Amino acid sequence: MPVSQVDLFADEVLLEPYATHGELRELGSVVHLPKNDIYALTRYDVIRAALGDWETFSSAHGVGFNPMVNEALAGTSLASDPPDHTALRAALTENLTPRALRGLKEQINARADALVADLVATGSFDAIDAIARALPLAIVADLVGFQGDVRDHMLAWGKAANQVVGPMNPRTAESFPIAGELYDWCAGVRKADLVPGTIGHGIFEAEERGAIPPGSAGPIIHQYLAAGVENTISAIGNIIALFAAHPDQLKLVRKDPSLVSSAFNEVLRFWPPINVWGRETTRDAEIDGVVIPAGARVAVLLGAGNRDPRHYENPDVFDVTRNPVDHLSFGYGVHGCAGQGLARLEAHAVIDSLARRVDRLVVGEETRVPHNITRSIDSLPILEVVPA
Amino acid sequence: MRLLTIELDRPRCEGHGLCEEAAPDLMHLDGNGELVIDVPQVEAGTPEARAAAAAVRVCPVAGLRLA
Repeated sequence: MPVSQVDLFADEVLLEPYATHGELRELGSVVHLPKNDIYALTRYDVIRAALGDWETFSSAHGVGFNPMVNEALAGTSLASDPPDHTALRAALTENLTPRALRGLKEQINARADALVADLVATGSFDAIDAIARALPLAIVADLVGFQGDVRDHMLAWGKAANQVVGPMNPRTAESFPIAGELYDWCAGVRKADLVPGTIGHGIFEAEERGAIPPGSAGPIIHQYLAAGVENTISAIGNIIALFAAHPDQLKLVRKDPSLVSSAFNEVLRFWPPINVWGRETTRDAEIDGVVIPAGARVAVLLGAGNRDPRHYENPDVFDVTRNPVDHLSFGYGVHGCAGQGLARLEAHAVIDSLARRVDRLVVGEETRVPHNITRSIDSLPILEVVPA
Repeated sequence: MRLLTIELDRPRCEGHGLCEEAAPDLMHLDGNGELVIDVPQVEAGTPEARAAAAAVRVCPVAGLRLA
């Protein structure tokens, strides 16, 4: 079994993971990382197979990298497997599937286009605050039915809720109190706290009619906020940064708007919001001749699989015509990202609007703050917008 | 000639529609966003079988099978 002394959650790896991912991928499809006490899956085929095999690579013992978070998430669809998982997933997604969201497309397009149009007119702004944070915050708040003070907490709560999925390092320790505020709020939230007719309200109705076990509505609200805010902010920020760095690619989308969907797949492949996610083996799992013992914590390196040259030609090139529809950034299988339909609506709206309205973005230096789970840009100053 | 059947795990389908993009001649989402398999059987080794395999492959929730 190949071994590496890399700490996957060290600042420099979190900020710029792809060189490390490449080294691990070349060591083997499974690499033991004693510093993190985990087995890393590094190559595309192995990752995809593991994500499809929930019976061996289980989520039921948690998907995080410390015992506290795994205990906190117990009983959610995120941290369970079939059969318990089935009803929870159905309730989580009932009003979140593309078919349920079809009516929202126009509204999301209009919101994204208004943000981009404003900014083209303004000329100079921070892209992360003005678009990447503004759009998902407004959409998730309205969709789930958050009102009052909680709307002001969404950003900090969402960031902390993802942070604590990491190992028990200082980032996780500092974030637990804030993540705990969200956890406590979700434990106490009632139907009447959410706006009628929203997805959040609907989850409580599902609980009332017995579609999900008593007490599961709060944790599902937790998932909507934890997953739907920070990770979408990352994806939209990445869209803007990558198109600012590659104006030729933005031009391709402007010339052929049918590339919008392909472009988003490529953004996700190239810079996944989540690079590393957890599983636990239920039995000895043999992969390419090496055995991961039963009961081991496994790190699925989604970002490394997305850059595997065995699967994608020239994987380190950002190419909007590639359409890597099988990228790993949404996971795959029974635990595949439940909000991907909503993420696509938001991201496609932003890409479409940027391509129509912007020829080129002149940007200052992007800043990043290391985060255990979600790799995102913290600020991206736009110095000048050259309109299309 | 060997026939392969496109099998849909209906409860698992969330209507993401990536299969329709991969194999528009074999399946489509109806007006309610429900998946309809228009051509449930394909002949192994044909372009239709390759399209069916592509549709199975891109389903993000592993809800399709070709057997």
